[in-house]
Amino acid sequence: MRLKKVWKKRIIFVIILALIPLVIMLMVRFTPPPPTSEVEYARLILSQATSNDAAIYSKRLYSEAKALYDSAMVNWQKENNRFIYFRNYEKVVSFAELSAKKAEQATKVSKNNVTDLNILLKHKIDTLTSLVKQINKLFTSYPLSDEVRNRISKGEMLLRESEVAYKKGQFSQAKKKITDSEQLLTDSYKIASTNLKEYFNSFPVWKKWVDITIKESKKNQSYSIIIDKYSRKCIVYLGGIKKYEYHVELGKNWVGDKRVKGDKATPEGMYRITKKFGSNKTKYHKALLIDYPNETDKEEFKKEIARGTLPRSAKIGNLIEIHGDGGRGVDWTEGCVALTNSEMDIVYKIAAEGTPVTIVGSTVNLSQLLD
Amino acid sequence: MKNKILMGLAAVVMVAVLSSCGKKPQAEIDAANAAIEAAKTAEAAVYLPAEFAAVQDSLNAVMTDISAQESKLFKKFGPAKAKLTSIVTLANQVAANTVTKKEEVKGEVANLMTSIKAVIEENGKLIPKLPRGKEGAAVIEQIKADVATVDAAVVEAQGLFDKGSYMDALNKIKAANDKAVALNTEVKEALTKAKIKF
Repeated sequence: MRLKKVWKKRIIFVIILALIPLVIMLMVRFTPPPPTSEVEYARLILSQATSNDAAIYSKRLYSEAKALYDSAMVNWQKENNRFIYFRNYEKVVSFAELSAKKAEQATKVSKNNVTDLNILLKHKIDTLTSLVKQINKLFTSYPLSDEVRNRISKGEMLLRESEVAYKKGQFSQAKKKITDSEQLLTDSYKIASTNLKEYFNSFPVWKKWVDITIKESKKNQSYSIIIDKYSRKCIVYLGGIKKYEYHVELGKNWVGDKRVKGDKATPEGMYRITKKFGSNKTKYHKALLIDYPNETDKEEFKKEIARGTLPRSAKIGNLIEIHGDGGRGVDWTEGCVALTNSEMDIVYKIAAEGTPVTIVGSTVNLSQLLD
Repeated sequence: MKNKILMGLAAVVMVAVLSSCGKKPQAEIDAANAAIEAAKTAEAAVYLPAEFAAVQDSLNAVMTDISAQESKLFKKFGPAKAKLTSIVTLANQVAANTVTKKEEVKGEVANLMTSIKAVIEENGKLIPKLPRGKEGAAVIEQIKADVATVDAAVVEAQGLFDKGSYMDALNKIKAANDKAVALNTEVKEALTKAKIKF
């Protein structure tokens, strides 16, 4: 009887022992599966978006993805705090999946934006660098207002800053700088080129004068001198063919015609040499005096007085020469045309009293210059 | 009696097993978060963005693992604990590297500041030597405008430097330095052309 009791107890014990793993297995079996793979996937995709700078180049989508990921984690925590068999991870999975989707989109958008920005910035930097070169070429010696000069200067500085940021891959900063630079430079260029265009309205007249001067040189097989103020050139023709070309320096207010004595402007018109001064007769090495003011200049001066655009006390200028002592690299004369002494020697030698000297704003039209 | 004790023990073991083998490593999580926050305060996101993002991502991965363990019947936080400890080390390393990098950038800005000031000073001495006739001429007007822009950029860069924004200051001072050097070359060329000694 006692043995039977012992066996009974042993059997119960064995059954209990056998039941433990079964119960554990059943408990595990009915535990809701955690959303590990979904959240892990969302984290990986979000991490990819981060390394692709989506936080900068796809800000909205990245923020949404991040917020959704955080929501997934918070909800997961919330569910974990509940009794194990009451947990429901549907919301967590939904947030994680949405987060992954948004992060994926953010990466794609960011990559596209970076590629586009890279191309756009490179193009803009190249374009604006060319524009700066064009501005320097066209307007370095051209009188512009202080405001325009400051804008050009600031625009150029911002362009440099943009280039520095671009080279470091900081496209967002580079874009901001280049936008400001573009605004300043294009506006300044517009103002300056409008100003230049107005000056070049006289081009048809200049062209006529140049054509007549070259024709005369050809017809008489003689020397003629043409001064191109814009490109700072003294061109000597013989028999209608260009023989010499020298760089010149002018009066500092060289844009436009000479209007009045002391305005430091170089006149524009068709003139002739009236006198030659050797080295002992001028302080500028050698000089060729021209017949400024001619009849046209005098008439124009009178008209300006009559119109009141010049005061009655104004005096017309004179003593305009082609002379030496040039080569200073600046416009420094009172309105004369300065050559280097060695070049002046040549021009002095070929010139005679009566040699035509035609002074024009430009021998080339503006569209050619702008090209 | 003996059997009752055995059964009781079995029940205790079972309860212990079921109520998990480990506790959430909260202290280690807090330490990792604090280390990352310290790296953030040191501006790791500005000076070492990739490294900082990597540490943050590592923490996110561990937090996912911890949540996954918390969802399980049998919890195991050992590996997460080890990872959190290495995150603290990594974050501290990133913070230290950030300080070094920041000092490097700061030094670079300071050097550029010194060299640009020398160039500006030289420009200041050279510009008045430009030919007299150049007064009012377009070229000198542009040079003056450029000098003013460089001066303004240096002031702006100094402001950023004083504020501790060394990276922004570096970009600005680099551009200003390029311009100041270009101006210096331009002025020297003009003086050479005009045969003026400098």
